[in-house]
Amino acid sequence: MVPIAYNVRSLAVRKATTAATAGGIALVVFVVAASLMLGAGIKKTLGSAARPDGVIVLRMGSDSEFGSVVDESNVPLILAAPGVAHDARGKPVGAREIVVVAAMDKLGTTGVTNVTLRGVDEDVMSFRPEVHIVAGRVPRPGSDEALVGARIRGRIRGLDVGQTFDLKKNRPATVVGVFEAGGSAYESEVWVDREAVRQAYNRSGMVSTVRVHLESPSKFDAFRAGVENDKRLGLQALRESDFYEQQSEGITTFVSLLGNTVAVFFALGAMIGAMITMYAAVASRQREIGTLRALGFSRTSILVSFVTESVLLAAAGGIVGCAASLSMGLVHFSMINFSSWSEMVFSFDPTPSVLFKALAFACGMGLFGGILPAARAARTSPLQAIRG
Amino acid sequence: MTLTSLAFRNFGRNRFRAFLTVAAVAVSIVAFLLLRTVVWAWASGAEWSAKDRIVTRHKVTFVIWLPKHYIDIVRQAPHIKTATWATWFGAKDPKREHEFFTSLAVDPATYFDVYNEVDVAPEALETWKHDRQGAIVGDALAKKLGWKVGDRITLKSGIFPGDWAFNIDAIYTARAKSVDRSTLLFSWTYLNESLRDRQRDMIGWMVSRVDDPAHVAEIGVALDKRFEDLDTPTLSQDEGTFNASFLAMFSAILGALDIISAVILGIMTLIVGNTIAMGVRERTQEFGVLRAIGFMPGHIAFWIVVEAMVMALVGGLVGVAVAFPFINYGVGRFIEENMGSMFPYFRLETANIVLALVVSALLGAVASGIPAMRASRTRVIDAVRRVA
Repeated sequence: MVPIAYNVRSLAVRKATTAATAGGIALVVFVVAASLMLGAGIKKTLGSAARPDGVIVLRMGSDSEFGSVVDESNVPLILAAPGVAHDARGKPVGAREIVVVAAMDKLGTTGVTNVTLRGVDEDVMSFRPEVHIVAGRVPRPGSDEALVGARIRGRIRGLDVGQTFDLKKNRPATVVGVFEAGGSAYESEVWVDREAVRQAYNRSGMVSTVRVHLESPSKFDAFRAGVENDKRLGLQALRESDFYEQQSEGITTFVSLLGNTVAVFFALGAMIGAMITMYAAVASRQREIGTLRALGFSRTSILVSFVTESVLLAAAGGIVGCAASLSMGLVHFSMINFSSWSEMVFSFDPTPSVLFKALAFACGMGLFGGILPAARAARTSPLQAIRG
Repeated sequence: MTLTSLAFRNFGRNRFRAFLTVAAVAVSIVAFLLLRTVVWAWASGAEWSAKDRIVTRHKVTFVIWLPKHYIDIVRQAPHIKTATWATWFGAKDPKREHEFFTSLAVDPATYFDVYNEVDVAPEALETWKHDRQGAIVGDALAKKLGWKVGDRITLKSGIFPGDWAFNIDAIYTARAKSVDRSTLLFSWTYLNESLRDRQRDMIGWMVSRVDDPAHVAEIGVALDKRFEDLDTPTLSQDEGTFNASFLAMFSAILGALDIISAVILGIMTLIVGNTIAMGVRERTQEFGVLRAIGFMPGHIAFWIVVEAMVMALVGGLVGVAVAFPFINYGVGRFIEENMGSMFPYFRLETANIVLALVVSALLGAVASGIPAMRASRTRVIDAVRRVA
């Protein structure tokens, strides 16, 4: 086998060409890694709102919280269903919530966006223990005071501590605190007292969804049977994990479709780039190759050597691209979630598997871009090459 | 032989490399055009909108309906020629739940007076107007879901429980680029009669045409003033502003697409630059000879820049030649049929073609900048002596 050091030095000699080719591949890897990171970030944002023993009850056929309507009179039936956990005082652990969207002005651009407004119970913090206040204070019970999620804070007019927004005409709500919720979708929401939302949005006698915690995740089937068997209620129960999976479907499909399309074109372009460089390398090293052949290196080792060189070149670009893509971890990406039509802020999540995929992608480009030039190198006849 | 023709001759020196470079540029240009077309088709919805149409919705959120008698107030307002209303229905085909399409409950008598940029057979339209369960659908949607005039279909809604039966009475086609050819419209009366008391006699939003398009903003403000003192305040926007504010929800995606199309141009520049640099390096001696016989550094630089521009421009032309059928007859058709609500018209625009060609030629020049500078600065004696 031809030592790898030979390839490394060959690449180092033609600095400009190596840099240009690896730079092109780095850009490709950057874009591919960023789109994979966004996909992972979306999954994480929507997935981490789910707890294993959490269940959401919606109206049959609704695919989002704000499209769902549950009659208040049915809430006790849901809470009495088998499997629901009870707290120390023997109360079932559940929350009925009213979820609506409000059009608010997006800062930094001209235009409005839909913000999710969640009407919550007073004890929402104990129902969702992962939520904690990072600025300001908890709203006074029964008031028109609001909490905003850490991610949406400052992106929308009126959504920061001390500012106000309109619940309805002549009914402003004051933001008194900011909460974090482990990076989940809740951080893109505004939370207000449920009764305030009920009055402002005219939802008397109904709520959007009911959430319960089960005694254990395995009690789900029993709970669902209890809720869904009574057809008159017209309700469906979903594990929170399944519900959020559904919520992320549209947007993850969109991002991966876009990411894949872009990746295919970029990969083609960068592969051709690698091919140009490798063909030039083979052409200008005819004599070297001939000498190697004359020394007794087989055609296969020449082939392997040049493919290795191409993969090394691409891997170098891949590492630079991956490293650069890590900086996207600091960026937050705010867009409409297609299933709820409301603004949601996603992060780019650099998981090891994403970085591994991006690097493998780079090596693949090097491999396929290098194979034809390497085959030409392997075909070199030692005699002719040395004669020049 | 003129200076320019010499530059052209150099283009053919390493035919295979030139071919690969042109291919790389072409691939980049196809990707660039695809991304530009996405951004353009998305963003230009606002430009195609009718200048004399006003949309009036609830001031805070689209979730809350307006009382139906509002339409009478609008119709009597000054400068309003005609007005109609619609309610979002959220229909789904139970057999194909994942196919999204817009479905609206509308006033059959007036809807097409306000939206007059569609073509529909007059007899079919008359049938629809008098059929309580009648539906009229866009040709793209009818094709996708296999519906024909005379079919009886049953749909579900994400908002309104139960089964909804419709007769397909008519199919419309578009007369303007802005028309979504995958919408289903049916009579609002059918919806209203099926609702419970407190949801009765409410409408989603109102659309009106004005007689004075130049003052559409003032007319909108005047409308809102009339409703301000009533229980449900409104927000009226002309269609362009309405669409633009809708677009703002997606501004992050549009921004990302712009960045990606800039990145692909960066990759293209690197590839062209690399090819040119390699060619220049191989020809160093030649340039030395040319300089020795009296050509000036400017001549050398000129040749290199022209060669790069020609190469990039040829690549750009090939890219356009591929992108044209690819977008207009391949992807574009698919997108118009499947994502018509977002991209009613997805075609390659002349402005984008011109942009792609100009950009490729310019980037060719940019890419050749460094090699051209280097080559023109090399001293004759070094150039002639140099071993490539």
